[in-house]
Amino acid sequence: MNDVLVIGAGPAGLSAAIAAARQGLSVKIVDEFYRPGGRLLGQLHEEPDGVWWNGLAEAARLDQEARALGVNISCGVSVYDIARCDDRWRISTTEGEWESSLLLIATGASEAAVPVPGWTLPGVMSIGAAQVMTNVQRVRVGKKGVVIGVNILSVAIARELQLAGVHVEQLILPPLSEVSGKAGRPHEIMRSLLRVAHLAPSPVIRLGSKLMGSAWMQRLAVAFFPSKGVRMWDMPIHLRTAALEIVGTSQVEGVRTARVTPEGLPIPGTEQLIPADFVCIAGGLSPLAELAAIAGCPFAYVPALGGHVPLHDEYMKTPLPGLYVAGNITGIESAKVAMSQGTVAGLSMAQASGLLADDSLLSQAQLQVKRVRQNATIQFHPDIAAGRELVGQMAAAWTAR
Amino acid sequence: MDAQQVIICRCEEVSLEELLSTAREYQCTARELKLRTRAGMGCCGGRTCRILIEQIVEQATGQVPTHTVSLGYQPPVRPISFQTLGGKSS
Amino acid sequence: MSQRIFHHPVLGSMEERTALQFQFNGAVYTAYEGETIAGALLAAGVRTLRVHEETGAPRGIYCNIGHCYECRVHVDGIPTVRACMTLVTEGMCVTAGSVLPTPLKKGGHAK
Repeated sequence: MNDVLVIGAGPAGLSAAIAAARQGLSVKIVDEFYRPGGRLLGQLHEEPDGVWWNGLAEAARLDQEARALGVNISCGVSVYDIARCDDRWRISTTEGEWESSLLLIATGASEAAVPVPGWTLPGVMSIGAAQVMTNVQRVRVGKKGVVIGVNILSVAIARELQLAGVHVEQLILPPLSEVSGKAGRPHEIMRSLLRVAHLAPSPVIRLGSKLMGSAWMQRLAVAFFPSKGVRMWDMPIHLRTAALEIVGTSQVEGVRTARVTPEGLPIPGTEQLIPADFVCIAGGLSPLAELAAIAGCPFAYVPALGGHVPLHDEYMKTPLPGLYVAGNITGIESAKVAMSQGTVAGLSMAQASGLLADDSLLSQAQLQVKRVRQNATIQFHPDIAAGRELVGQMAAAWTAR
Repeated sequence: MDAQQVIICRCEEVSLEELLSTAREYQCTARELKLRTRAGMGCCGGRTCRILIEQIVEQATGQVPTHTVSLGYQPPVRPISFQTLGGKSS
Repeated sequence: MSQRIFHHPVLGSMEERTALQFQFNGAVYTAYEGETIAGALLAAGVRTLRVHEETGAPRGIYCNIGHCYECRVHVDGIPTVRACMTLVTEGMCVTAGSVLPTPLKKGGHAK
């Protein structure tokens, strides 16, 4: 029997396994994906200093290190149930059942959809699907397509598609509806784009964004947004154009669009049809917490973190005995944060087992999480720190009941 | 296609129009909306549409998300065969 | 023409992989080791992996990471297998599901 079971072989799960194994624990990881690395595998972007973040290489490094430490990694295995059995956790999987007293759930996030009429047609996929197909499967998702939903993730992945020789015709907004949230509102999108404008290769956009600190300037920018879009990395981003419908008989053939007001309302008489053979939909990410829920873990609803997150403390420990969480399941941030959280979780589990010789490793790892967050080039959401505070407070309150 | 005909639950092909009108008529919780329309009951276990269902309930009834997850999760969270349940690996 | 990305400006050239043959709906396709059913079919221009069991609407991959189950196919007789999560093996026999009868549904009819 293993000392530690980890569900999820992404950056958090692998980092936790490495940290725990280094302290002498025996670790088994299960993951339903066909290779280790999680969503890190598909990541490929240029950092401001010109260095490329290559997720495949990072994942390979983590995988190698884990295996060298004796960590057992089983891919292609799905966990369908978790139950408490005496003083242990039992996970039920498609390859059998396993038990351990220490269980880490590091299942990451799922994509939140923004429905667009016609989005069930073959050829329409989530933006994350396109990333995996391009960088992991090395298959082009189509010849020419449209990205619906403008945010950090969709812009980054559209660039990845472009790098791979896939033509992205336009990045546009989804149609306003009861389920589009902020995604269909030009003002909201402008605000969130300005937070990452410092990463733009174009000095014009960087300078322009510095001038746009005030709300009234942002409104002006949206009002006068060029009808041909703004080209970032040679891709037209259209804040004043929205998709009305994705059309095609048996698969995607095009997207009907309209110009929209600064509030996102379609302007009559401006309809166009963009021919396309693929469409990517970009909503946002949300913690994939189903396994934590069936294990009986309590939650906090924190929109800044992506939705419902399992309660946990700064040791990545949930209120349930022996149950830990790490990575995007705790809130949507970067792979680097996930890795540093995983390290904390691994060391915490070692400490709980009485195998952590040096406690300062754990406090250093906790500091590292904060450091990574502060140094992040992209702040995923302005209220993340406050969100994490709330989760910590609620976890403490739950344990004190 | 009329915009309200957009599919929300892909697995069961439940439209926005059906969900909104049902939620408005019964002023129900997300769970009751799921039971009435089958949205969230399909093969994906509600993974794709649960957030959309919650947004629709909020729009139609004013109920905002609380710290408790509104659409409960039930094991098994993956479709599995009786063979797997019986202890044989797939 | 294959839509495979053999040469990528940052990821480099694809290393040599073993070629495999598999069937989808009776037609033979080539895959390379490490490709999923969904990836290999997309490389061959095939997007439709199944039809909706009630409406018959064509469906293909949506999430590509095993969450949405849109890509479910029958593999060697076993149903509900995610094409996006399953690596192709030599001689694999894949079929798309079809519309299922709904004899008990109000207004529905057995096919």
